Amino acid sequence: MRKITNFIIMFLCGTMSLVAQTKEVTGKVTDAKSGEPVAGATIKAKGFKNTTITNTDGSFKLSVDEKAKVLEISYVGFTTAEVSIGSGYITSALKEADKSLTEVVVVGYGKSLKKNVTGSISRLGSKEIENFPAPSFESAIQGKAPGVVVTSGSGKLGQAIQINIRGISSISASSQPLYVVDGLPVTTGSVSDGTNDDTNPLADINPNDIESVEILKDASSAAIYGARAANGVVLITTKKGKGGQKTVIELNTSHGVSNPARKLSFLNAKQYVSLIEQSATNDGTYAFNKGYTDLLNGNPYTSLDAAIADYKTNIYEPILDQYSLGTDWRKNAVNSNWQQQLFHKNAPTDQVNLSATGGNDKTRFFISGFYNTQDAIVINNKFSRYGTRFNIDHNATDKLVFGLNLAVNRSQLDRVTNDNAFSTPGQLVAQLPISPLIDPGTGLPNKQTLYPSGIFDALYNFDKQITFRTIGNAYATYKILPSLSFQSEFGADILNLTEKEFAGKESQDGAGIGKGSTVISQSASLNTNNYFTFNPNINDNSKLNVVLGMSYLQNDYEHTYGQGEKYPSDAVKNLSGATSITGASTTNSRYTFLSYFLRASYSYKGKYLLSVSDRIDGSSRFGSTSKYGNFPAASFGWILSDENFLKNSSALSYLKLRVSYGFTGNSEIGEQQFRSLYSVANYPNLPGFTPVQLANPNLKWEKSRQTDIGIDFGFLKNRITGEVDYYKKHTSDLLLNTNIPQTTGYASIYQNAGSLDNSGVEFALTTKNLEGGPFKWSTTFNIAYNKNKVGNIDGQIIESNDNVQRAVQGYAIGSFYMKKFIGVDQQTGDALYQGADGKSTSDYSLAARMIVGKYTPDYTGGFTNTFSYKGLDLSVFFYFVTGNNIYNSAGRYMTAGFYNGWDNQTTDVLKGWTKPGDVTNVPRAGAYYGSGASTSSRWLYKGDYLRLKNLTLGYTLPKSLLSNLNISSARFYISGINLLTYTKYPGDPEVNTNVVSNIAGGKDFYTIPQAKTFTIGLNIKF
Amino acid sequence: MKKLLYILIVSIIVISTACNKKLDVLPQNSATPDLIKTSADVKAVLFGGYQLLQNYGAFGEQFFLVSDLLASNEQLNWVGTYGEYKDVQRKRMVSTNYIPASMWANGYSTINIANTVLDKLSVVDDADKATIEGEAKFLRAAIYFELVGLFAKPYSDGNAMANLGVPLVLLPTYAYDQSKNKPARNTVKQVYDQVISDLKIAIQKLPKNNNNYRADLYSAKAFLSRVYLSMGDNTNAAAQADDVIKSGNFSLTGSYDKAFNNNSNSSEDIFAIQQSTQSNAGTSNQGLTTFYAPQPSARGDAQIDNAYFTHFETTDFRGLYITAGKSIAGSNGNYPNKWAQFYKAIPVVRLAEMYLTRGESNLVAGGTPVGGVTPLDDINIVRSRSGASNLASVTKSDFVEERFRELGFEGDRFWTLKRLLLDIDNLGYDDNKLIMPIPQREIDANSNLVQNAGY
Repeated sequence: MRKITNFIIMFLCGTMSLVAQTKEVTGKVTDAKSGEPVAGATIKAKGFKNTTITNTDGSFKLSVDEKAKVLEISYVGFTTAEVSIGSGYITSALKEADKSLTEVVVVGYGKSLKKNVTGSISRLGSKEIENFPAPSFESAIQGKAPGVVVTSGSGKLGQAIQINIRGISSISASSQPLYVVDGLPVTTGSVSDGTNDDTNPLADINPNDIESVEILKDASSAAIYGARAANGVVLITTKKGKGGQKTVIELNTSHGVSNPARKLSFLNAKQYVSLIEQSATNDGTYAFNKGYTDLLNGNPYTSLDAAIADYKTNIYEPILDQYSLGTDWRKNAVNSNWQQQLFHKNAPTDQVNLSATGGNDKTRFFISGFYNTQDAIVINNKFSRYGTRFNIDHNATDKLVFGLNLAVNRSQLDRVTNDNAFSTPGQLVAQLPISPLIDPGTGLPNKQTLYPSGIFDALYNFDKQITFRTIGNAYATYKILPSLSFQSEFGADILNLTEKEFAGKESQDGAGIGKGSTVISQSASLNTNNYFTFNPNINDNSKLNVVLGMSYLQNDYEHTYGQGEKYPSDAVKNLSGATSITGASTTNSRYTFLSYFLRASYSYKGKYLLSVSDRIDGSSRFGSTSKYGNFPAASFGWILSDENFLKNSSALSYLKLRVSYGFTGNSEIGEQQFRSLYSVANYPNLPGFTPVQLANPNLKWEKSRQTDIGIDFGFLKNRITGEVDYYKKHTSDLLLNTNIPQTTGYASIYQNAGSLDNSGVEFALTTKNLEGGPFKWSTTFNIAYNKNKVGNIDGQIIESNDNVQRAVQGYAIGSFYMKKFIGVDQQTGDALYQGADGKSTSDYSLAARMIVGKYTPDYTGGFTNTFSYKGLDLSVFFYFVTGNNIYNSAGRYMTAGFYNGWDNQTTDVLKGWTKPGDVTNVPRAGAYYGSGASTSSRWLYKGDYLRLKNLTLGYTLPKSLLSNLNISSARFYISGINLLTYTKYPGDPEVNTNVVSNIAGGKDFYTIPQAKTFTIGLNIKF
Repeated sequence: MKKLLYILIVSIIVISTACNKKLDVLPQNSATPDLIKTSADVKAVLFGGYQLLQNYGAFGEQFFLVSDLLASNEQLNWVGTYGEYKDVQRKRMVSTNYIPASMWANGYSTINIANTVLDKLSVVDDADKATIEGEAKFLRAAIYFELVGLFAKPYSDGNAMANLGVPLVLLPTYAYDQSKNKPARNTVKQVYDQVISDLKIAIQKLPKNNNNYRADLYSAKAFLSRVYLSMGDNTNAAAQADDVIKSGNFSLTGSYDKAFNNNSNSSEDIFAIQQSTQSNAGTSNQGLTTFYAPQPSARGDAQIDNAYFTHFETTDFRGLYITAGKSIAGSNGNYPNKWAQFYKAIPVVRLAEMYLTRGESNLVAGGTPVGGVTPLDDINIVRSRSGASNLASVTKSDFVEERFRELGFEGDRFWTLKRLLLDIDNLGYDDNKLIMPIPQREIDANSNLVQNAGY
């Protein structure tokens, strides 16, 4: 009781004394440029603690100490103003700060002024990512950051997307960057049914929740993530609330339609029949000229016409008769467009995002809810997702801040089979145009097609994958001293996936009995980061920032599947309907990383910048002799434009030189690769073990050593700004899956062998061409060149599964290695290849395999022009890729002149050789004596392309119109994706049938092209 | 304040030490070598060897299908989309063809298992020791016999002492050592000697009956009869076949169809591969049934050449044991019923073959027939079961023809023609194109290997 009394007395006294010594100041803060009130600006008396925040009308009221003379008024993005306290009402117009001085970038375990950054970091803001009609954010950043090559393999939705930062820096280990969401490394590897294509767990992150994406490209920025940073690091920061502002409610909604951006051109029925007849003529002529006997009786031919007629009536026309199902192919009674059947015309896309952001001086929040659904341009492929995010930060005391970033969502992906399956819609193009879509005999979809019709699979099968994903990270920061704080983060990334597949009896995959499977995958990552941040006050010239801490990551993965067959009917599609179980298994694995890190950044006079960092990583992926790896880095920056000799230059406004050097590592080879292993063998009634892996106890980290030299510049008061970087990255001790003699009983072991080099130049430029007036125009341009070269790999021959791509010393990884097609013999129509002796040969077996191209590009880049006039805005974004090749693996079926089957052919086959003297590059067609149908560079194309990736036209309604409606802003837009494409590749150049591999890439195999999408959208803020 | 700092530092140290232990993660889905230490463990490794025999790179598919594609004339046609099989049939294989590579790889994995088991015999219980040893030697011999037949010139060409066979690896690999693990090819003769020695020991060690269709004494004898037959050692071939026939363990099934598509061994199976819904040679892209059964249950890539039917009398059931159907690439044709159903036992050696081997060997050797049964009776025993008329007299070529009829699609044709120096698909029996290339990846990984001529 007494205590309380004392307290009350003290409290009252305190108040009294305050009252006695303070005065009240009132005023208003506005934006110097627009004159609009600034809400949420912080008002503080200089030298005193007390602060307040402006109201929505910009007004404020603050009690200040009597002795206070100056008010500090600060607001993000504006130069802090100092106003002397007089007796009257204070008005202050804040000036927009020079962006180059205040721009903040997220770095590993902290933030930094962009000005002070000495590494190479590309930053993309929410504007670049929002409302892009694709499931995951990577699609939106394609072409926006130099040196970051984003490849989405096809127009199928939810598929894995490959990102290569500064080239591919590994052969057998992963070449994909580390993704960190709000400090938490997240699961990015596919956990779906391993028999189908990989899917993309990053699609569980709502792109509209993202505030910024920072891509750490060089060693000095990435080395703080040490052992996992060799392929670069992508830091994703989600939106946060801002203090002292009116709560902003934002609605984003859009609707779109998609169609294929580019299609291969196939024969129609008339053309197919004419090619069949031409082939009969070719085969008959060839047989006659060679003196072959007739097909049925073995008698010599009496005339050329007889030979042709023999092939026509006994080989070719029966095929037309068989597949036309009694319709008159001679009169083109049926002209089926099978290609059209695989596409979903005007596939819809819809999305709604609703968010609220706000806060006061103590608590800030961002909450959002979203729903989107997207149909792919290919039938039976659909992605939908809904979820919420809740980000909160709270200042508990002056010293303690804590917060939480939490996202929960559910996504559903309806999938089609992989490109290699007969059942996949993409392979419908192989069916004959003379085959009716509907069987005239039954009135039902045609079952008597050349290949089992994927239409049945589309009708009766499904493959549905549902993912529940929770990503949450809680943190607390405590200010131990004004200069020393400690942050502790604890996060979890929990991914639960269930995939159900069913193939009905009628379908190809159902094999007449019905087949089904269920996959349940669970991946749970637990991560904690604990670190000190030390900012001692040395003196005005010297500034030091030290980060010291540790982190621990543990991922547990469990995969269960069951599969069965023999369903009584299609009525029960669950696995419970399978009367025979053909497989069931549970596997699990764990990996752990324990890391210690240190970074010290020092700046002298704000213009000499030095940063050193070190990270020590330990991992479960290596044996006891090499568990730990050490990854140091150092960098230096010099802001020349702050030097006296440049300070007064009128042209040059900013110039910074950056140099960095450091080491990063890679251990992404999966678990338990260093041990000898015996796996379980399930021979009937004899449970056993088979040796499957041979130990290499000395296996250790793959290491990359990278040098980066960069210049940041600005001219004409930063109307022209840009960056140039040169880098050289040398990866050694490659975690190479090396072939060993199979006579050991094993195929390969992981060894640290060989090296790989990437070097290149990146350039980015932003110019404000017109500003100041109502019409504004700005341009950004970026281009990157990368040269990839495989070093000494101990003579290892490392090939793709289909033997057409290799890692060869001195050449780019994944170079196409095959027989070289050099043309067509004018006299015979034979395909000509380059022989081992360099001369041309028509004998395929004498041709030599050689390097004929590569799938990795030389130059990539983007070019954006943004225009605005009053409420109107227009942006036009082109993306380009050059120097790469694309191999159409399906060419041996679709562009082979019937030699490998009766598949419908691409129209270029019509230009084939028909008689001596023909000058063409398409060899003689013919099921019997055609030529050029074996694997060769005949189907290797230049992959260069220029694409109008995005064109957006928006209109922001004038404020005057909205003020009555309580709407603070409203913008309508229409947008088009992949509107124009310039390429020499006959199909869509942005394809890759197998995206997750370093050696194999740039291959088309009935791959679904990219979508051309039109959207209309609305963005309203209340 | 300082206190707090100390607490933090101490807690970081504690967390780190605790986490350090977490860096040791043991495999959850596999065993490590240090877990193979009891008799039961060594047995389990042996059983793993049976799984590899079932693999499509062995008796699950390729040992049969590849032999039959090489000797495909009037037997079978590849109508499927896998170009590599078509290349085998057309004798235009290249050294990167994955089919020889998978037979080689799976073969040597099996050999490594056998070697591991033999190396660890000391931990096996005495009661099981002889059987385990016999089985391991049987596995090793069976694989070496197939590999030397596919990857080397035939023994029958008379140059076995000089011709290169396959590398003989007789010790297990526990760690990779560049200096030791790059063996050169042994001669055909050396490989044959090893096969015979292994089979003879297996015959000594194996019981007359073994459980769960594991190899027994007669499995080894049946294989040894094949080995002798391929060497032209007719007396020994007949003797081994006779032992099997006389064992009383086997009898021909009542009708030909009963010898196939059984859930486990038939009465005439001397050695067969077991399959189940969960353990099989493949159901979508590999395995005998996958290729030999038509749509929609399978791919139907391998079809009977219609000329095959001209080898049968109209009453011969064996020529009628077929199904008409369609392949996945749209071609209509006939399929042997032998491999029509998934998950069934795959006969590797049947009693019928032993009759034909004994008969032919006795006929060629002349004199008193081993076993006291005339070659004519032996051939008629096999013929009459399927409704073919009894022959009145018999010649060597009757046996060749009978083996073609009886053992079609079971991989026998190739071996029969090779050992008898008969043309195969219009090529001489010893033509280089009939010999598989040593897999290119193997040549690349082992500089001591010499490639076969023609690749």
